[in-house]
Amino acid sequence: MEAEVGIVGAGAAGGVLALELARRGIQVVVLESGPRHDFARRGESVRRYLRHENPWPTLPRELDRYTVGGSVIYQLEGRRARGVGGSTLHWEGYALRMHERDFRLRTSHGIAEDWPITYQDLEPYYTAAERMLGVAGTADEPWASPRSGSFPLPAFAFSHSDSLFAGACQTLGIGFHHLPQARNSLAYDGRPQCRACGTCQACPIGARASVDLAQIPQAEATGHARVVTEATVLRLELDLAGEVEALVYAGLDKVERRLTARIFVLAGGAVENARLLLLSTSKPFPTGLANRSGLVGKCFMSHPAVDVIGRARDNVYPYRIGFSTAMSRQFAIERDRATRGAFLLEFLNSAGPTPDRIAMASGLTGEALRRRVKEEFGRWLGIRVYVEQLPDRANSISLNPNVRDYFGNPAPHVRYSLSPYERGALNDARAVAGRILKMLGLSDIRPTGLFFAGHQIGTHRMGTDPRASVVDGDLRAHDVPNLYLVGSGCFVTASASPPTLTIAALAIRAAEHIAGSLRGGTPSETTLRSASYFPARN
Amino acid sequence: MKSTRRTLILGFLTIIGFDPSSLPRLGGRSEDIWAAPIGGAQDSARGPLSDLELEDLVAFAGVLVEGRALSAEQRGFLLDHLADRARDPSGYYAGLYRTTARLLNRLAGTRFSSLTPDRRLALLSRYRLTSAAVAPGEPLGPYPDAAREVRTRAVPDLIGGYYGSAAGWAAVGYATFPGRCGDLTRYTRPEP
Repeated sequence: MEAEVGIVGAGAAGGVLALELARRGIQVVVLESGPRHDFARRGESVRRYLRHENPWPTLPRELDRYTVGGSVIYQLEGRRARGVGGSTLHWEGYALRMHERDFRLRTSHGIAEDWPITYQDLEPYYTAAERMLGVAGTADEPWASPRSGSFPLPAFAFSHSDSLFAGACQTLGIGFHHLPQARNSLAYDGRPQCRACGTCQACPIGARASVDLAQIPQAEATGHARVVTEATVLRLELDLAGEVEALVYAGLDKVERRLTARIFVLAGGAVENARLLLLSTSKPFPTGLANRSGLVGKCFMSHPAVDVIGRARDNVYPYRIGFSTAMSRQFAIERDRATRGAFLLEFLNSAGPTPDRIAMASGLTGEALRRRVKEEFGRWLGIRVYVEQLPDRANSISLNPNVRDYFGNPAPHVRYSLSPYERGALNDARAVAGRILKMLGLSDIRPTGLFFAGHQIGTHRMGTDPRASVVDGDLRAHDVPNLYLVGSGCFVTASASPPTLTIAALAIRAAEHIAGSLRGGTPSETTLRSASYFPARN
Repeated sequence: MKSTRRTLILGFLTIIGFDPSSLPRLGGRSEDIWAAPIGGAQDSARGPLSDLELEDLVAFAGVLVEGRALSAEQRGFLLDHLADRARDPSGYYAGLYRTTARLLNRLAGTRFSSLTPDRRLALLSRYRLTSAAVAPGEPLGPYPDAAREVRTRAVPDLIGGYYGSAAGWAAVGYATFPGRCGDLTRYTRPEP
């Protein structure tokens, strides 16, 4: 099989990139390890979600094996999804731009490293990504970095519980604003308006942006993109010149096949991108492809998170919508981040137990059970905090030769710990959230356990110095001229913001660069506006 | 189900606290509920649950979740849950449900669903089958393995399945809820 560009992975990065290239007439083949999840069977995913199960299980399970180490267990189950759409199948849809200071932590605060690109470099691509995904928002965030375009969709209205939080935040001097999200507040791009179905991790109507419902079919519709599902890439092979010659992949039959192309892009997520590079050893790259820096797999990051909840006297009517509508970025910006990590506050529209959880925990039956469910439901408010994690080379993705996947390849080993920097931010965030809940007059205020967002970040970081980074500012591997690595693995720092909008913006930018290099012009000759996406409301 | 002399005797013995399983087989018709061991291979056999098994399970769940017989609509929610679970390719839930129905019938000495609501409650109370928690060393009756499985697995599953359905949301006053789409503006205001 041949293509001009071979892409590994049909998720947020790969799907956006495939569309941008296909719209320019570039022949693209996307190899996706998972299946194409049929939208007609979306109800099955919804039912799994409602049973508190993974909505998107895929077989064979041996393909998703991994091991963990470090002081904190970072589980991958439910935090990534295999299949066309990737993690956009189950993401929350929160589509925040990173702040301009997030790109220059070294310059602003003397910690970590600056990105090789600035917010201003990425800003037009953020605008394009918002249009492509259909982001609903309004410019009411006091700390927002400058933007060249308005949100393509109006913001979702604040919720009933938001109105309670807003009053407490105003009293405490804490900023409170809308949470931008890639979810249709109005019909957009052929997808319907959100109908408050409440199962956003398996949106039953396709109102939440998902690459499998938009970018991939749109790319295929150009006639220039082909997606091969259940095709797991096993390694990359080099030619004599030291460039990638082929992707070697296999289906469930384990028969190896090859995809040749001029340019190759890894878009399989921060864990699998790193693993694939580490699996692709050769004489020029004995420790893994594009790994002369030794940084492939290093500086793995996520977003540690905690919910702080409190009990209200009156019913606050949770679970009427599946997402949050308000947040505060104040503590992600207005802090001395040299010593105190940034964090976001997400004001939850649904906290506390659902009727089934109340029922199962009650130990009651019959009429007494029914009364308990009615009395207990709807009495909890909650605030979720997401904390920025700094890059640390000890946090890493490596190969575990003692555990093999379906194809016999070593499974990824996730080594993960939190530093005092993150733990300090978590403590600060818990205290701020607790103050807000106390101001609301809640009782039994307490944090839930530590958990982690499904964000895997930083295993093939970008930079200008090939000795200290894996890819350059255009996401091209320093060591391999025809190899690009996209997705959140290329982030230098994590910020406190969800990564998906930045992933999409960077993918659009990388597509522009790839198109320019393929067509023989400079990237700037292939203008953003010529190919990017300007769908209409409908 | 038609009452027979045998079912009436067994039902009476159950109400007064006698363990019918300790009786030798009484005469009368042969029923599958007497024929196979509980928790054996037959319980885990795959395939759809029979109408009789479903009736017994719904009758059991009615006591658990509402303390009374369920309405047709409530039955429907529960049957949806049972059917959904029973489709699990591992066969685990089908086996669990069969174990549950068989245990209930053995203890009742007849089809559990044929008992009146009061007699259902009396039987379940006597064998503590409405309690999911099992204390260490707690006597579990004549079929301890099955009783343990029913209490620790089936009871939470049936309660969770029912209160996770529209019936549970109706109990808290919600007509639309996670999984049932509705009005996008409803979340912005208190419920009427």
